This record gives sequence, structure tokens and C-alpha cells, in this order.
Amino acid sequence: MLAAAAMLPLAAVSGCDGVDVLAAPPSPAPDVTVLREAIAAEQLLITSYTAVLRDAGKAGGSPASLTAVLEPLLAEHREHLSQLKSRLVIPAGSAASPSPTRRAAPPKAPGAGSAGVAFLRAAEQAAAAAMLDRLRGAPGSLAQLYASISASEATHVPVLDAAAAGTTSQVTG
Amino acid sequence: MSSHAAPALGTVTALQSALAAEHAAVYGYGVAGAYLSGGQQATATTDWVAHQVARDRLEAMLRSAGASQPTAAVAYQLPMPVRNAREAVALAVVLEDRVATAYLGLVALSNTAIRQYGAQQVQASALRAAAWRGSTVAFPGLTSAALAAPRPPGSH
Repeated sequence: MLAAAAMLPLAAVSGCDGVDVLAAPPSPAPDVTVLREAIAAEQLLITSYTAVLRDAGKAGGSPASLTAVLEPLLAEHREHLSQLKSRLVIPAGSAASPSPTRRAAPPKAPGAGSAGVAFLRAAEQAAAAAMLDRLRGAPGSLAQLYASISASEATHVPVLDAAAAGTTSQVTG
Repeated sequence: MSSHAAPALGTVTALQSALAAEHAAVYGYGVAGAYLSGGQQATATTDWVAHQVARDRLEAMLRSAGASQPTAAVAYQLPMPVRNAREAVALAVVLEDRVATAYLGLVALSNTAIRQYGAQQVQASALRAAAWRGSTVAFPGLTSAALAAPRPPGSH
């Protein structure tokens, strides 16, 4: 009940006497917190991809072919982020920030070229696993989104494997 | 799934839908494999076996729940004509997409074990689909309607 949970403070204020207006705002519902973590994780992946693409030209080799591999994956992460954000409803007038309550640590420098690809591969694997961990207790439609995003991120791993091996023409098989 | 408590109707329906998708995938891969050769045929055989295993798992889950298990049809209407290797590959992609969608039905359930199993199978299907397609998609198994639908407050 993401949206309903977010509305709760307003309902409580309107129906009670003697509300302490200076009291600390209520904590967001657990599924809202988890959703914000998922949003932060996607933002982190986007930051990492952007950094590797930015540095690709500096590393020599064939940045054009690496860009051709990474840009579509980055675009999918942007779609993930957009969908996740669309599930987060902030009531008008709420002081709630759309930023996550628990920010992920900023990424280490991913590195360029093959080091950057290896960094992204590990990040994708970790992100796919973390997204599955968010299934527990999530509302049904949000769980479906988490599962689908996790699956998408899992499919990025063999693409990055192929890029690392210099065989980007086919994913597998 | 425990055999001691009757599962909710929604659980049985979702399991039966996933089983029906697996039956169709097993049939479809049988057709696709006939038009493939070499490495692609080997991959199709591997995927065909994976769907047989998943089918058997779903049948066991339904049996354990005391629910009926839909049987495979003798033949299925293919979603597109299959006359060559290129069309066989396209069929494999469609089969995997449909299986992933069916397993997302399990992910929507509240039962944690079934939800996790469904998610694992969505991932497996997505990986197979990406291998056949030669590219990835942002939302394996999710329909455009599911992605586009506005969500009024309290709909989750």
C-alpha cells in the first residue's frame, strides 16, 4: 500500500485533536523504504555505466564498440529507474523527499576498458540478487516489477561477459 | 507447498497457468528444434529439457496441493509460421516471453517460497530469451499494459 501508506499522516492529522505539529514525521512504510533503496540502486548503476562510458575514450582500444554494447544496457537501467520512480507516490504538501532514506555508498571509480566492464558485470550480478531480496513482503505488482528488473539485470551479465571477451556480436548460443 | 493446507484459489490458478505455459513451451521447442542445426539445435535441446523439468516441478506442486494439473494438448496453434531457422528462433523468443509472463503470476502471490521460485524462473526464461534474441529487454515478462497502467492511491 505504497500510496495509501504515504497518505496516512494526513488522515491522522485531520481526524485527531491536539496533534503535536512539531513531532517527528512518521517513518515511511517498509515497502516505501525498500522501493527507495531500489531506486537508489538503479541510480548507482546508471552512475557507474555513465562513468565507464565517459572513460572509454580515454582507455584506448575500441571505445566505439564498447559504447555500442553499454549504451543499450544503460538505456534499460534508465527505464528501470523510471518505472520504479513511478511507483513512488509523494502526496502533495508532504515534506517527504523522493530521495532514499538509506543512500547507497557512492561507487568506487569503475575504471576504464576491461576493468570498467568487469566492474559493471559485478555490479549487475549484485543488483540482480539484491532486487530478488526485495520480493519479500512487497505488494504483488511491485514484486513483479522487482522480479522483472532482476531478470533484466541478470541478462546483462552475459552481454558484459561477451564484451570482455571481445565477442559482442552475440550474447550466447 | 504444504499438502496439509489447501492453497488459495489464486495460487492454484497461477500454478496452472505457469504449467500451461510450460506445456506450450515443450511443444514449441519440439517444433523449433526441427528447423535448427548445430549449436542452435543443441541450445534448443537444452532449453527443451529445462522446460520439461520445470513442467514436472509445477505438476508436483499442484499434485502436492491436491489441485488438478492441466494436461498438455495434443498440438498447439503456433503464434507464427515456422518454416526455417530464423522463424524457429523467433518462436523460441515468443515461447520464453510467454513463460516469463506466466511465472510473474507466481511472483504476485504472497507465498514467499512460490514467489521466489517464480522469480527464479522469470530470470531463467529471460536469459534464454536474450540468448535467442541476441539482445536484452528492460522488463522481461511484463506486458506493456502492466507497465503503462496508472496506479491510483492504494492500488498496491
